[in-house]
Amino acid sequence: MFTLIKLIQSLFGALHSEGTPGQLAAGIVLGSFLGLTPLINLHNAIIFAALVLLNVSFAGGMLGWALFVPIGFLLDPLFDWIGHQLLFAEQLRGVWTTLYNTPVVPLTNFNNTVVLGSLVFALVFALPLFFALRWAVARYRVTIGERVRQSKWYRTIMASKAYNVYKLFKP
Amino acid sequence: MSDGIKVFRWRAVGPLLVLFVVACVLWWLFADTIARHESQNVGTQLLGAKVEIQYLHLDLAHGDVTIRGLTIASPHEAFKNLLQADELVADLDMLPLTEKKLVIDRIVASGLRFGTPRETDGRVPAESGQGIAGSVLAETREWASRFQIPALQLATGKIGVDSLDPRRLSTIPAADALGARADSSRRAWQTAFDTLRLGPTLDSASATLEQLRRARATDLATINTARQTIDRLKRARDRVTTLERNVKTGTSQLQAGLAGLDSARQRDYAFARSLLKLPSLDAPAIGAAVFGPGAIKPFQQALYYTQLARRYMPPGLLPRAATGPSRVRRAGENVRFPKERALPAFLLRSAELSFLPQRYAGRLTGLTSDPALYGRPTAFAATGPQLAAGAMLNHTRSIPLDTAGATVGGVQFPAFDVPGVPLRLDPGAATTHLGFSLNGDTIHARFAIRSSNVRWTRDSGFANSAIGNLVWRAVSGISNLDVETRLSGALEHPALAVRSNLDQAIAARLRAELGAQVDAAEKQMRARVDALVNAKVGPVRARVTEVQSQAQAQVAKQRARIDELQKGLEQRLRQLLGGVRLP
Repeated sequence: MFTLIKLIQSLFGALHSEGTPGQLAAGIVLGSFLGLTPLINLHNAIIFAALVLLNVSFAGGMLGWALFVPIGFLLDPLFDWIGHQLLFAEQLRGVWTTLYNTPVVPLTNFNNTVVLGSLVFALVFALPLFFALRWAVARYRVTIGERVRQSKWYRTIMASKAYNVYKLFKP
Repeated sequence: MSDGIKVFRWRAVGPLLVLFVVACVLWWLFADTIARHESQNVGTQLLGAKVEIQYLHLDLAHGDVTIRGLTIASPHEAFKNLLQADELVADLDMLPLTEKKLVIDRIVASGLRFGTPRETDGRVPAESGQGIAGSVLAETREWASRFQIPALQLATGKIGVDSLDPRRLSTIPAADALGARADSSRRAWQTAFDTLRLGPTLDSASATLEQLRRARATDLATINTARQTIDRLKRARDRVTTLERNVKTGTSQLQAGLAGLDSARQRDYAFARSLLKLPSLDAPAIGAAVFGPGAIKPFQQALYYTQLARRYMPPGLLPRAATGPSRVRRAGENVRFPKERALPAFLLRSAELSFLPQRYAGRLTGLTSDPALYGRPTAFAATGPQLAAGAMLNHTRSIPLDTAGATVGGVQFPAFDVPGVPLRLDPGAATTHLGFSLNGDTIHARFAIRSSNVRWTRDSGFANSAIGNLVWRAVSGISNLDVETRLSGALEHPALAVRSNLDQAIAARLRAELGAQVDAAEKQMRARVDALVNAKVGPVRARVTEVQSQAQAQVAKQRARIDELQKGLEQRLRQLLGGVRLP
């Protein structure tokens, strides 16, 4: 229940933050990488560092992570298939062989079908997601955003202490 | 540039560095624990049995890993360990770790013990059947189950006769099929004979011969007609020869079918004999029945480890997939991409092994995931009092060759119930020898046990079993045991042969006591099979013979007629022309 409240807080906190729609969309896109790909991997450390260091919505990133984790689980068979097709593609064998025998690169676990499949999916999905989210946030803010902000239930949720944690990282 | 479009959030560098430091501290604190858990998980996944480590210490600065209290459960036996080791110290090559490759220059393992008991079931894939180890285990189990071990059916000592169902006899459908084939051959040959259209040719030749007999040497038209007729006769004879060849082929096939009926009858005898529950009186069958089930196990285990090695150490440099790491998300597959002149993903250059008691020692070299890259076979050798063991896994070429051999003395084998007989055999301290060779898909293996102090005990529940008494009398005085099992042939269907010094003793005693009874029962059974089969086979045999002789006679008759006419025409021509060849 707490997680759900936190998620809703994150969602509305991010939507009503001072960050631009682009910052929020970029944060969610970076978060989607964390959610779609298996978490304990080197590339996710880079994604997390980017989420912290780049001027994007950190809350959006956490929101994207939370939203895309179940999607990642659901799409795992698809990722496995994509990864399998790519790793066993005759034309790409030279590339994979070089990468596999290059220092540090194998630590990314790119040679795992699910990791590669999900990463490629997330990369392909990133730009459309970014533009769609940026448009959606902008539309939200100019249409029903202000009414939501004035509503009683919005103020109730945001009054929760958990919101304060979020504020630490607001853009 | 306004605040809204700043790219970096510089104030987050501090917290990120703190996070990094915290991660480093956590790694420093928990690296050993994490490595221990990971090693246990990976080992368990690789071997298909629980791997437990009591203590693991990583000393990355010196490239050392120390493991204490290593226990690897047996994948085959529930409450037994494959091995235990007091301590293993590994000297790692650090640079390949950046390529996620594990290269161990040397391992020193001490306090190795084999076959120790354990309190919990350590078999992992036995439940799930998952992963490479699970699938290999399932395959080897299936392989072992294919061996038809004859049962020593002596428990009750009765010779029973079960009902013989004619539908289960193979001779009857074979006879039906052969009868149908004979009919079909007869029709086909008749059709072929009709299409030769020999009648007009022969009639025309007869008429020409008559004309030629009345003709003179100057009657050139008749002479030419005679020549053309001879040509037609030659062509007709060629057609007959072709048909004759077909008939010969067909008749030999029908003969083979008749021979097949005899084979089918022999199979039916064997089938009917199996229904009779006769005690086997053949010495090899007795040896296979008594020791076969136990003798398959060492081969099965050797095959399991060999096949596991072939999966984890495949020849060649093609990409190869293995099950990914176990995690909450789908494991997927990890694909390795070996590259020429690069390091293998795993390499153990050498391991010095010392066993308990300490007079035993061994050495393992060249254990690698990519034998083609390492270029040398994996070799293992161990020696000690009453122990000589060696193994070689040569996967450097396209056809892998795996060999192993071991002679171990003073091994205490557990006592076991002799199948089908109310007896228990305790082999005592025995000397065993195992020889195993798997060259590609051809297996040659030998397992032998020798003991000079076997003990026999008798199940009191079968005290009144007449045949149990017989066997007891045959073997109870024998204190030596000499069993040899051999396996050879294609891996899919190898031949199993079991020989022991008990076979002859049991067989001779049984034959003396039961021979007459068994012979009578077998005779009765054969008569029953014959009664069912002869009703079908007799007419079919007659029909086949009739079809054959009819076709052969028809062909021979026409051929003789053609020859006769041709001869007559040629003779008359010679008379008319007096040896002069006209153009």
